[in-house]
Amino acid sequence: MHPIFASIAIAGPETILTLGSLAALMLGTFTPKHRALVVTSLFAVAILGVAGFSLTDAPAGRSIAFDGLYVADDFSAYLKVIIMAAAAASVLLALPWLQERGAGRFEYPVLMLLAALGMAMMVSANDLLTLYVGLELAALPSYVLAAFSRADDRSAEAGLKYFVLGALASGMLLYGVTLVYGFAGSTQLDVIAQLVSAQAERSIGMLFGIVFILAGLAFKVSAVPFHMWTPDVYEGAPTPVAAFFSAAPKAAALGLMARVLVVAFPGKVAADWQQIIMFIAIASMVLGAVAAVAQTNVKRLLAYSSIANIGFALVGLSPGSPAGISALLFYVTVYVAMTLGSFLVVLQLRRPDGGTVETMADLAGLSKTQPKLALALAIFMFSLAGIPPLLGFWPKFAVFQAAIASGLLGLAIIGFIASVVAAFYYLRLIKIMYFDEPAVALASEGSPVNGALIAACALFCSPLGMLAMSPLAVATARAAAALFPA
Amino acid sequence: MAAFAFYLFAGLLLTSGLMVITAKNPVHSVLWLILAFFNAAGLFILLGAEFLAMLLVIVYVGAVAVLFLFVVMMLDIDFKALQRGALQNLPLGLAVSGVILAEVLLVASGWTAGQGVIVHEALAGPPPGMTNTQWIGSQLYTRYFFVFSMSGLILLAAMIGAIVLTHRRRVGIKKQSIAAQNARTPGGTVAVGKAAIGQGVEL
Amino acid sequence: MIGLTHYLAVSAALFVLGVFGIFLNRRNIIIILMALELILLSVNINLVAFSAYLHQVHGQIFAMFVLTVAAGEAAIGLAILVIYFRNRGTVAVDQADLMKG
Repeated sequence: MHPIFASIAIAGPETILTLGSLAALMLGTFTPKHRALVVTSLFAVAILGVAGFSLTDAPAGRSIAFDGLYVADDFSAYLKVIIMAAAAASVLLALPWLQERGAGRFEYPVLMLLAALGMAMMVSANDLLTLYVGLELAALPSYVLAAFSRADDRSAEAGLKYFVLGALASGMLLYGVTLVYGFAGSTQLDVIAQLVSAQAERSIGMLFGIVFILAGLAFKVSAVPFHMWTPDVYEGAPTPVAAFFSAAPKAAALGLMARVLVVAFPGKVAADWQQIIMFIAIASMVLGAVAAVAQTNVKRLLAYSSIANIGFALVGLSPGSPAGISALLFYVTVYVAMTLGSFLVVLQLRRPDGGTVETMADLAGLSKTQPKLALALAIFMFSLAGIPPLLGFWPKFAVFQAAIASGLLGLAIIGFIASVVAAFYYLRLIKIMYFDEPAVALASEGSPVNGALIAACALFCSPLGMLAMSPLAVATARAAAALFPA
Repeated sequence: MAAFAFYLFAGLLLTSGLMVITAKNPVHSVLWLILAFFNAAGLFILLGAEFLAMLLVIVYVGAVAVLFLFVVMMLDIDFKALQRGALQNLPLGLAVSGVILAEVLLVASGWTAGQGVIVHEALAGPPPGMTNTQWIGSQLYTRYFFVFSMSGLILLAAMIGAIVLTHRRRVGIKKQSIAAQNARTPGGTVAVGKAAIGQGVEL
Repeated sequence: MIGLTHYLAVSAALFVLGVFGIFLNRRNIIIILMALELILLSVNINLVAFSAYLHQVHGQIFAMFVLTVAAGEAAIGLAILVIYFRNRGTVAVDQADLMKG
């Protein structure tokens, strides 16, 4: 058998997603218009499910495919499961919203599948070329999704901003990639590590390459100082799309960042990127916490919350240790559930005029009009704030612990202060929901699927979620160990 | 001779690059962009990458630049209004780009050939008797099969995206419907009536 | 004698022109899209130059994929520009201020 077939078998999830996205496009085209959206969406969820489950019987250990362009290991498998789950949830949660706006747009789940494929490629990239192509395959559908409700001024503007800044970020990343390629002599991550360690002194070109790459990646995870697009795009993009942006792409980009830095730049150069990551982490935590205090729009608040959370997750990356990466993966897992849950509640609420919830004042007295949704949102807010019995506390604890274990006590202290400041605005939202008089009577959209998703996320983030902690700890530790060859 | 060609192409490339971003009229910008691509193609030929040079001309000049031109013409933009206050960001822009330029030039001057570089066994040098195009082709569909297929999906995503965003079903236009034409029967369309003298016919 | 450094310098200057163009042309998105193309062109020059001096074909193939992606990006960018223009009747980016944070 030709070796390419063995490689295709190793890249199972990507193969499934490729064929699935093409089939979904055909299915959407040849199904009668009024059913096309539902049929394609359910098909897309099924494909994502199959791709996710195909990872369960993947061979253990590290398999390299396509002459070193692609790697399948525990790290990529763990992140792919999260990405597939988050993408499937994003397809499902958009369904009521899309149906309200006419049934013809079956392209939405197709674009989602293509983006998920790009993200799967990102976390499996063993070469800067795969990294770049995966990143763009995830980015191009995202630009389109941001502008998806094209008749809406704000959506078109969000798409435009996201596109211009995103393309600039890929340009910077690419310039960094070329410098690393030129100064190391290869773009394969593990080969770069060997070549760099063979060089007598660290070259300044390499350092610049790393800085440019980090700038591009910082944009993708919306970390300070490349965060400016996040609040505007979250506010302007359709709410289901903002929910999607806040979950799966963040997990993929953080995973990519961890793999590139840990695998390609260990040893001598590690100290350089660790300083940059520490700076980015501190700036994101502080700015995310402080800027959110002044927000009145719910989606902007969630955007700043996601910036702050990325900062906390990057605290786990700063030490560059297995414990830190493991904490990072744990953080990402819980963060995805919390943010998807919060967006789901916002999406589920309808104002009397049929519009979606925009300002925080709209949520006043929610506990009286929609007690169940208010309880769920309260759980997510308490969890995002990191109040102890809820699950959101534990990943924060884990990243700080990993930072302290590597002697980064200052970083942990700043992180702790930032999380106290951030707790203020989460608690303020809870106060508005529970103690203010209802301003408008919000209706629940009553989509049972979204209700079930909210319940699942709330259950996971509640103290009951601690039951999942020990299996998660085992899985994240195994995934993190895959990046550090013995 | 090679040095002369290099300075010619490089000089024209940077000049046209500068004109792209400063030209008052976007149509002129597109034309300068085309010139920039031609000169970059010249540089590629000097570097021995003739396949990419041709690709640059065909893909960029033939497709991308024309696409730009098409959009500039299609959108009926008031260029006069755009020019007012166009230079307000000049000092900031100059400062930022000055810093970046100094930095990247510093990096560019630091490259020394063979600095710890181990050339890949499988990739070292073009095999004897092979042209640049054959060399690329022999690798692109084998070693890079995966990335090649994925780049196809990128183009598919771009195509779906562009159609989703810009396609509109136009109302109020007359369009031929073949099914409706074939379904017409004389019974529904032709009526025979007797016209009385001096009176019209009621249809 | 023309060495690699010369090519890198040209590419660096072109990259800076692209970044500068984005800062400078806050009023016209079409020019911003063209400045992005300049950035990608500078990246390609880097890749091809390194590829030639390292005697590898890898850089040239990388540059091919950059070309492919750039074409897709241009298509999406222009599509978004078209709907923005339909909604607002202008392509001036400094009027993109419906959302302020």
